[in-house]
Amino acid sequence: MTVPSTNDVIDTVLGLERFPDLEALREQRAKLKHLSETSYQAALRPAEPRNFSYALRAALAARMATLWKSQELSAHFRTLLEREEGGSGLAAIVDPGSRPEGSDARLAAILVHVDLVTLSPKDATRANIEKLAAAGLDDRDIVTLAGLIAFVNYQVLVVAGLKMLRDN
Amino acid sequence: MAQPVHEFTIEPLDWKPYVKPVDVNTATPDQLDALKITPSNKKISDYVLVLANDPETLKERTPLFNDIMYSEGGLSRGGREIGALAASFVNRCIYCASVHAARYIQLEKRPEVVDEIYGSGLDANLPDFEQALFNFGVDLTAHPDNVGAYQFYHLREIGLDDLQILDLIHAVAIFGWANRLMHTLGEPHRLD
Repeated sequence: MTVPSTNDVIDTVLGLERFPDLEALREQRAKLKHLSETSYQAALRPAEPRNFSYALRAALAARMATLWKSQELSAHFRTLLEREEGGSGLAAIVDPGSRPEGSDARLAAILVHVDLVTLSPKDATRANIEKLAAAGLDDRDIVTLAGLIAFVNYQVLVVAGLKMLRDN
Repeated sequence: MAQPVHEFTIEPLDWKPYVKPVDVNTATPDQLDALKITPSNKKISDYVLVLANDPETLKERTPLFNDIMYSEGGLSRGGREIGALAASFVNRCIYCASVHAARYIQLEKRPEVVDEIYGSGLDANLPDFEQALFNFGVDLTAHPDNVGAYQFYHLREIGLDDLQILDLIHAVAIFGWANRLMHTLGEPHRLD
């Protein structure tokens, strides 16, 4: 799949082509807007996905957006997931109520962590990181997962704030 | 060994990671490249060295954070620090709060604002301007699915224009990011 690099994800999901004033406002912070987009690429489609496939990244992002009822981003990440190789096999974990079938302990631990750090980061402790390590994640995996969760939550907040500006 | 700190404090803290920081002597070229854009005149913090485990993300994050907190014009730097503090109080990132409380005081010379936030937490009773910024930061952090006309009205009432509101949104959002790294990948300790 080719991800169009000229389309800004946040502008696109909010339909800002129909809101030129808000589009222009975002351009007043052009550097930040650009770095938000390159951060999206680094989190969802990095050059080296290593132990987190593009499909898994998209599925986890869709789950987080759904946890926050961010319809725009949830729809975006579901579409991204459909296009990623192996995406259909992960469609079930997008639903926040779901747990992986069978005995995939690694995926199960990842989902518990994603849900906790998205909705209630204040409750995270050292024990949560130890559980990830026990499920087979190495230090780099743990930092990658934390970075993906942190980025998607950033994007959810930016979209929520921009929506407030768009609709008022 | 010093005990971890689990209550908010304004004193300067040390941050100890749960995962191994990258060793600059054995770092890959990509990691060194990502580390280069942090201030080179002081020791690289363990926090940044932990994030260097994933250099591709760190390389974008550092300049993004700096632009959000320090860009020219728009919302005052102190105003952005209130957004950072609100997020850090909701997410209980004790280390983040301590750093940004100190920075707010340094910028605005108004320790009484920080004292009230530390004394009353999310129920802080602040002057109108700071109250509106703080409440917005709390609402956006805790309920991004429920931010709308009510919050917008209060930001307009204190006289914020669109760019200032945009800057506040970004300051709160980047701490939604930072808190989820700093509070989950390590914990604060008192300085030795």
